[in-house]
Amino acid sequence: MTQTDMLSSDQEDLRMLRESARTLFERAGGSGRSRKLRDADGGWDADMIRELAEAGVFGVTVPEDNGGLGMGLAAGGVIAEEVGRVIAPEPVVVTVGLSLGLLRRLCPDHAKMEQLVGGTTVLAVAWQERGPNGGPAEATCRYADGKLTGSKAWVVGAVGADGFLVVADSDAGPVLVLAEAKASGLSLEKSPQADGSAMGELSFSGTPAEQLADGAAVQDALADAVSDATALAAAELVGLSDRAFEITLDYIKTREQFDKPIGSFQVIQHRAVDLHVMREVAQAGVREALAQMDSEADPKIRARLASRAKARAVRAAKKITRDSIQLHGAVGYTDEFDIGLYLNRALVLSAWLGDDAYHRRMWFDAREEEGAAQ
Amino acid sequence: MTDWNAMSDAEFRKEVRGFFEAEYPEELRHLPHRPKFAEIEHWHVKLHAKGWVAPAWPAEFGGMGLNAAKLLIFYEEQQRWGVNRGRDMGIQMVGPLIIKFGTQEQKDYWLPRILSCEDIWCQGYSEPGAGSDLANLRTRADIEGDEFVINGQKIWTTMAHDATHIFMLVRTDPDAPKKQQGISFLLAPMDQPGVEVRTITTLSGETEFCEVFFDNARTPKANLVGELNKGWTMAKALLSFERIFIGSPSLAQNALGQLESFARGRGAFDDPVFRDRFAQAALDVEDHAALYGRFADQLKRGETLGADVSMLKIWVTECFQRITELMIEAAGPDGGTIGPLQVGNVNVDVLASFYKARPTTIYGGSNEIQRNILSKAVLGLPG
Repeated sequence: MTQTDMLSSDQEDLRMLRESARTLFERAGGSGRSRKLRDADGGWDADMIRELAEAGVFGVTVPEDNGGLGMGLAAGGVIAEEVGRVIAPEPVVVTVGLSLGLLRRLCPDHAKMEQLVGGTTVLAVAWQERGPNGGPAEATCRYADGKLTGSKAWVVGAVGADGFLVVADSDAGPVLVLAEAKASGLSLEKSPQADGSAMGELSFSGTPAEQLADGAAVQDALADAVSDATALAAAELVGLSDRAFEITLDYIKTREQFDKPIGSFQVIQHRAVDLHVMREVAQAGVREALAQMDSEADPKIRARLASRAKARAVRAAKKITRDSIQLHGAVGYTDEFDIGLYLNRALVLSAWLGDDAYHRRMWFDAREEEGAAQ
Repeated sequence: MTDWNAMSDAEFRKEVRGFFEAEYPEELRHLPHRPKFAEIEHWHVKLHAKGWVAPAWPAEFGGMGLNAAKLLIFYEEQQRWGVNRGRDMGIQMVGPLIIKFGTQEQKDYWLPRILSCEDIWCQGYSEPGAGSDLANLRTRADIEGDEFVINGQKIWTTMAHDATHIFMLVRTDPDAPKKQQGISFLLAPMDQPGVEVRTITTLSGETEFCEVFFDNARTPKANLVGELNKGWTMAKALLSFERIFIGSPSLAQNALGQLESFARGRGAFDDPVFRDRFAQAALDVEDHAALYGRFADQLKRGETLGADVSMLKIWVTECFQRITELMIEAAGPDGGTIGPLQVGNVNVDVLASFYKARPTTIYGGSNEIQRNILSKAVLGLPG
């Protein structure tokens, strides 16, 4: 499957979106740029955030009335795939899926909407908490009298964010509040990740925060935004897998041993074919799941579709990046070759928002629930 | 004559589904074995009267004249309802070949007899020394007067013991410089002294495959289809549609449905390990269907499918096998039991499904051959 074939299966507007995103990332330096940023401090490039905003990237799923492109999740997936292809560190999925996913559902007229779409601010979303055994636990973070107390974990994009959208409990039920990154009583601990980025562990002690929304709507919006982000992370993994396989295919065509390209050996060929098939199935399955999410309003079905996408994408990305290291041989184990960057990003994206085993479980349970309801 | 292609896809699907559901004999649904013609003759008569025996043939030759999109729908509905393909070698292989390469006399004589099943065909391609390496075939046909004299052996000839005719690839020029050259496409009657058929008993105890021995068997020169020594190219030209058909999701989807009702009945879903493996298999089928849809869309746009369509067959057949292996696991101590296992009001023949899945990775070009094709033609790997 060539790139042209891949493009031809998209609808025309998605094709144009894909081309402009690809051009933007390639012109900026592709994966080479991502490596430089990793080597610098593991952050992202503020100029790139603005460029992406100008291209409409952050507002892709935001309705046109709120300054976005109003294109839906399938279009968001196209962009996420392109982010994955060059392993760009900018928080595209975090912004499109989580922060704008929450704001456009809960408070579409808030000033932060425009700033996020316009790339003048970046907000990370803090919704999970770590329990005593180190794993995810029930949320206990409290919001009262305009102040936050408690802690949040696994906050992607925390380092470099201008503020945090925090889901907390209050006397009036769940609330979504906004805390500025520099607010008093907020401390950020970095948890270094395999790809050079860092997740944030936040703790609040009487941190001032602005309430944006409250009530059951907060939990509903959170569930939907998490589904969006899960599906977009799957798309990012699809793009990542696609490029990792291309790199590997080029390598086995050129690397010679026993006076022949190693790609002429049948055992290598068959392994390459298996990765190719895995990539194509993942691409088709994930794109279909995202398209179906666009035409589905039921949050439980959307969650099931997101689980289908992530379960597939993680499985494919794990297999493709790990086998790619093997097919590169010893140089695959060095930091110098790009293929390792893809493995490392795949590790981080796989663990975030649930890996394949987790999402198979979610998918199966959702399917059982739907079956029982019928 | 109805122009089926002018219908919307939904209308056409409804029409086909309606006919199958109303007319297809219940006792023939999802047959676990390949039937002899006598077993399905009553269905064939109905299909023939309806004019639906040959969905892919042009209407002028008695077919339905379906385009690729409608054809896919027809086959999807056929498989959904568990409609047996019947003895369709004549329809699928011989007819299209005669339509494309045959003379007017051949068309006039053979095509109506194929439609009516007056002639029942079997396919003589594989030989003991020519399986994946099909071009290595050695069965010879030498011209003597007005006839070809055939000597050699074919194998894996499906249902040859219930066929009146064989279409075969034979070597007509043993001195050709390349083994793909010097092969011709020949039709021959089975009912003659020089043809002997022996059935092969398979692992499942079925006898649908045969060996066919030719000892100075004869067929008129008029039964050569196309040019002498050009049979290889012609046979390859026939395969393009088969390549998506053989990768269609239906076999795996049907097996998954069976697995689910069986596993539920047996309480296998209480086991989280089983649940996970079931979920994996179900997602494998679902995502394969998405990929299949991409190729089907290509056909619908009138595009020719490339070699990459082979990946459908690789994925779905291996997936089909895993599903039937899960059935055996779910059966526990009944995993070696022949015949239908009763679970609630469902009967599932676990072993029949398992056996049915085994040859799918071997026939139609083994999955290893498919990987060779993808590796060279799609990935561009050397050597």
